Amino acid sequence: MGTLNITVIIKLEPDFSEGNVSYNPDGTLNRAETKNTLGPHSGIAAHAAFFGRVMYDAKVFIVTMGPPIADLALQQAQQISDAEELHLYSDRLFAGADTLGTAEVLRVGIEKMPHKMDIVFSGHRASDGETGQTGPQTAWKLGFTFLGNVISYSVDLETRTIRAKRLISLQGSPNVVEEVEAPLPVFISIDPTYKSNYDAVSQRLAFEKYQKEAIQRAQNFKDYLKVFNAKELGVDETLVGLPGSPTIVYKVERVPKSTATRRAEVIDGTDPEQIRKVVTKMKEALSAMVIK
Amino acid sequence: MEKYDVAVIGGGSAGLAALKQLSNLGKQAILIEAGSKIGSKNLSGGILYSKKPKKGQVTNVEQVYENFLDDAPLERKITKYILHSTSKDKVYSMDLTAAHDYQANFGYSVLMNKLNSWFAKQAQESAEKLGGGIIPGVHVKSLSWNEQTGTIIIQTDELDEFEVKAVIAADGVNSEIAEMVGARKKFTTEQLYQGVKVIVKLPEEIIDERFAISSDEGAAHLFAGDITLNHIGGGFLYTNRDTLSVGAVYHLDSLIRNPAEPYTLIDTLLKNPMVSEFIKDKVPIKPDIDKNLSQEEKLRIRFGVAKLIKTWYDIREANFSPSGRERLIESGKYKDVEDIQSTLLSIQEKMSEKFGVTFGTDYLEDEYGAKLVPDGKRCRMKKPFFKNILFIGDAAGRGVFVGPRIEGINVGIDDGVHAANAVARALDKNDFSNSLGEFYSKSIEHSPYTVDMKQIDKDYLKIFLDAAKDVPTDIIGVRYGTILKMMSSDTFRGIAIKFANIIGYDKLIPIIESEETYVKVPTILAEKLGKSISASYLPTIPPIADRIANLNYNDDNLAHIKVLNSSSEYMKKMVILCPSKCYSEEGGKVIIQHEGCIDCGTCSQETEWHHPRGEKGIHYQYG
Ligand SMILES: Cc1cc2nc3c(=O)[nH]c(=O)nc-3n(C[C@H](O)[C@H](O)[C@H](O)COP(=O)(O)OP(=O)(O)OC[C@H]3O[C@@H](n4cnc5c(N)ncnc54)[C@H](O)[C@@H]3O)c2cc1C
Ligand code: SF4
Repeated sequence: MGTLNITVIIKLEPDFSEGNVSYNPDGTLNRAETKNTLGPHSGIAAHAAFFGRVMYDAKVFIVTMGPPIADLALQQAQQISDAEELHLYSDRLFAGADTLGTAEVLRVGIEKMPHKMDIVFSGHRASDGETGQTGPQTAWKLGFTFLGNVISYSVDLETRTIRAKRLISLQGSPNVVEEVEAPLPVFISIDPTYKSNYDAVSQRLAFEKYQKEAIQRAQNFKDYLKVFNAKELGVDETLVGLPGSPTIVYKVERVPKSTATRRAEVIDGTDPEQIRKVVTKMKEALSAMVIK
Repeated sequence: MEKYDVAVIGGGSAGLAALKQLSNLGKQAILIEAGSKIGSKNLSGGILYSKKPKKGQVTNVEQVYENFLDDAPLERKITKYILHSTSKDKVYSMDLTAAHDYQANFGYSVLMNKLNSWFAKQAQESAEKLGGGIIPGVHVKSLSWNEQTGTIIIQTDELDEFEVKAVIAADGVNSEIAEMVGARKKFTTEQLYQGVKVIVKLPEEIIDERFAISSDEGAAHLFAGDITLNHIGGGFLYTNRDTLSVGAVYHLDSLIRNPAEPYTLIDTLLKNPMVSEFIKDKVPIKPDIDKNLSQEEKLRIRFGVAKLIKTWYDIREANFSPSGRERLIESGKYKDVEDIQSTLLSIQEKMSEKFGVTFGTDYLEDEYGAKLVPDGKRCRMKKPFFKNILFIGDAAGRGVFVGPRIEGINVGIDDGVHAANAVARALDKNDFSNSLGEFYSKSIEHSPYTVDMKQIDKDYLKIFLDAAKDVPTDIIGVRYGTILKMMSSDTFRGIAIKFANIIGYDKLIPIIESEETYVKVPTILAEKLGKSISASYLPTIPPIADRIANLNYNDDNLAHIKVLNSSSEYMKKMVILCPSKCYSEEGGKVIIQHEGCIDCGTCSQETEWHHPRGEKGIHYQYG
């Protein structure tokens, strides 16, 4: 059986939970005093990575682009995922980046990793005004298959394929679960409803073991932390930060749940005529595929 | 199906000792615990003893966990053990430190959540190396046997079923395992005590001063007399590092006969002037906020006050503790002790000047809890096994509770070791027939903890008689004579032991555990000989609804308790006896609201009773 390498892309965000929000005397949010924390969606992505750690003994890496204080988010994500390396991409040059500029930094970072990644996880979106695009854009730049709204997954280490359940809306009905299979590597954006299930005693024992390890690692997170600036990372300066960001924000809207573009058709497997139809369709599909 | 050698069910102090011992012996075992974290479901008084019996041997906690004395989160080593008889404002005290020290290496006050987490950490480390470990948040719901192999199939609410060769059932006083396999019936009210307890916050050095102890000493105070409200049992107050454990433990049958709310019983104890004085502290009193202010302004004040009070408590607590001061200075936020104290003063000033906070005398309660305690004298399982399941600790009803001798934790740990040894032997021989249970049964039969409950220990009895030697002979009428006569006359004291031996242990117990002993004699002693104590304030006791609201729950929408007969007399009494007021009566029918349940077990007698599913229900912070 092969090994599994997982990267999680995370983000430091303002902590909107009770007690951590600070108010100005006029009752408005005091941004300077409000604490920062690991974004909740990033946290879910880290949980998904930990699932890989427990079930497949995966190696987990956490990356983020942000200011030096973002190491706090890396530490929190390490405590969840038992990551063995934390990468912080931090440089003034990265400031002002939109999702495309961010995706470029992440792409370079992930490609520079000590191992070839099999799965890259990102949160559904950030809670402080992001658009949910960083994930798909990074996937596109990496050339990885993108699976969005994933609520659970399993990996076959021998055939090196992943099976994932996605929560989608299909022809107007929300909350349809679609099961897909894809060869590794993949880029997964985790749905907010994602939950890891450990149903066997052995899995729970592994869970406890790695969770303990995660807590110990996170206590000494600096030992696992590597900080890279633009130069060390070797990014093309025209593709990152403000110069690499074509976006002009004039209005922010919620990202709708992704809709499947495919249409399912039920085929009666006992009817030879219908089977013939399937074969024809498969031939069509195969001829349209470009094999890399 | 996954297969393991041994499963320990229940991660209290008994189950954890079994797991640790199995690992010490190189045997693979897993432990399943319902609580989301080890320790969250356990509650004790409690003093953890290490004993050195004159005859026979017990395995003590420090033998199971090598680094126990250096590293375990122990509160205080109890060096004073005093029994107080109460009547209104009068208290008559007897020093029973000799009874506490009797055949003991030590007795430490402990808090179960912290202690069991520590035990778990040690046990987990050893178990992990052998492919075993601890799985919290899982509730075992049924056991069955594989007819061919005799192995036990365990079903839980949370995991796929799995198979083991033997089970050590350490699932506590309300053992579902014992009941589901038919190993024993539910304990009856005569076989149980109900214990209620509160944690009172009090800074470390105030405790030292008030109880006249040094930082490595501790005090235990027991109470009998009118604080019992005529029930058989009594109150206790133990000093922890920077909290006090205050509790009331009464025989359940006496509560059924004469129902009193558990919180009324504990409140009566807290209101006793001696206890009130023990628990008192300086507390900030929040100002009334001007109703005419704008909503925002009111919010701002409330925020400000709450934040300042919290900071004040935190710094004050640290300021009254050597390690706390050290921690603050090490953090770099404070230069020295003076710096801490001047900050504290300035916060105090800010509180009063800016927000109108005043300071008064009251007490601060941090946790309320309750649990049944099996009265080992009356409920020990004669045959503490069923096929290849061994029962230990409270599940086997094995505590030693005789007068002021209160021992459950140490007995469960010793049981855990016996059971682990028996299972290890069975693994070596690959023999899980009845001989496993019989071997275990025999080994605990010889334990001093079992033998002690069968005979009168003359030396122990003499300690009491000696403690009472200052009681004058003629203060009590003949009506309540037996006990007092034994205590108060030199001649009687001399023959008391003989007398006790003649009537025998079984007959002596009802004499000792009677209203006469717990209520009448102490009340008269206090009235006639007691010192008058006046409290400098009246404690503001939180109403039960606030106490419950303060607890941590993970609510389960599925009810874990089902009332079987909603119009039975017993269930009607639960309206009073449930410590968290889960029961109410409507139109002659008793109904339950399970959400506030603290798993005490009091109502289990006449209900279909289960522990909540994994991770659900009460989560004690101290225990
Ligand atoms: C108020 C009070 C004061 C006391 N004072 C003292 C004292 O001073 N000194 C002393 O030595 N003893 C004292 N005792 C007694 C002592 O606390 C107990 O004897 C001891 O804690 C029992 O430990 P145990 O491991 O047997 O059971 P418990 O601590 O009750 O542990 C049982 C565990 O099993 C788990 N469990 C139950 N069912 C299941 C299931 N189906 N699946 C999975 N898990 C399950 C529970 O969640 C729990 O964690 C006192 C008790 C009380 C209530
Ligand atoms: S409902 Fe029953 S078990 Fe729960 S707290 Fe009340 S008496 Fe105890």
